[in-house]
Amino acid sequence: MKTQWKWIAAALCASAIAHAQQPVKPENQVKFRKSAYQVMNYSLDTLEAMGQGKQPYAKDEAAKLADILLQVSILPQRFFGEGTGGGETRAKPEIWTHRADFDKKMDAMIREAQKLPAAARSGDIAALKKAVGDVDEACKSCHDEYRVKRK
Amino acid sequence: MTAVEPGGATRWDLATRLFHWALVVLAVFSFVTGTIGGQWMSWHLKSGYAILALLVFRLMWGFAGTHEARFATFLRGPGAVVAYAKRLWHGEYAPHHGHNPLGGWMVVLMLAALAFQAGTGLFSNDEIATEGPLASKVSNAMVDRMSALHDYNQWLIVTLVVVHIAAVFAYRWRFGVNLVAPMLKGPSGGTARLAVAGVLLAIAAAAVYWLVAVYPRP
Repeated sequence: MKTQWKWIAAALCASAIAHAQQPVKPENQVKFRKSAYQVMNYSLDTLEAMGQGKQPYAKDEAAKLADILLQVSILPQRFFGEGTGGGETRAKPEIWTHRADFDKKMDAMIREAQKLPAAARSGDIAALKKAVGDVDEACKSCHDEYRVKRK
Repeated sequence: MTAVEPGGATRWDLATRLFHWALVVLAVFSFVTGTIGGQWMSWHLKSGYAILALLVFRLMWGFAGTHEARFATFLRGPGAVVAYAKRLWHGEYAPHHGHNPLGGWMVVLMLAALAFQAGTGLFSNDEIATEGPLASKVSNAMVDRMSALHDYNQWLIVTLVVVHIAAVFAYRWRFGVNLVAPMLKGPSGGTARLAVAGVLLAIAAAAVYWLVAVYPRP
């Protein structure tokens, strides 16, 4: 009886771990990180347009997009697993050889994204523009190092 | 009128000098802002528009400007260019009124490279939150192509600038000719010429404004 409980507990733990680390196959990791970036690209484009007065500033819309960007900003990092540097991607192999630096740049981007919702809600266009610019710069610093340029 | 100084260097008129230094400032500013990105991208675009306006002005000034600024004055055939280069190579300096045969083509090369840069920039994006005013008018494949060319061509411009500055130093050290001073101080060129320059610049600015701000409107 005692032994049985132990096995059940072990099986539950194993299943919990397996669930937490649900493996995503490399091809889909590439797909998911790209999708996340595209949503961020759309959000930031729109916020940038509002910040620059190319599009009228609408607080609700700005807040929504800033929230979306922040929520999605944590996703790309999950999908740069080992073995996801091939195929339809412009990710440079250096990502996996300079992982600590890559992660540092990712974290910096997320930190800047965290400031975006407040700026979007502030009603202060200049503050929004500044916050968008900071996210932009964080994106660029990673692209410059770890993304293959267009040809 | 533009006189040749005893040293042999041309005395440039005010409009040409202002054009030159405005281009220097804006080209450096564009390079720096484009490299930093982020907050500075909106300034990078504005700087590009200003450069485009200056280039359109210079094109018109090349036909309607002072004698020394006209393309017809300083663009010489391959024979003259080779002959001039040979003399330089042998250490002979022949003072030239306006651009020398070699420098004249450098001007065209520089203007063309800058025009190419400004032109491709209109259709480029940085894949983050900035795009040129005409990027939405063309396909993404075209935007990618233009962005890549915009990226490569900056290094051609840097190279041309290095060659240009090296040439200025070479003339200084080899022949004792100061080419910087006449680009700083010189004749105004006369009120009438300045007025023409002002009108041409206004036309150029209006044309660029239309291209980047009016035409792209949805």
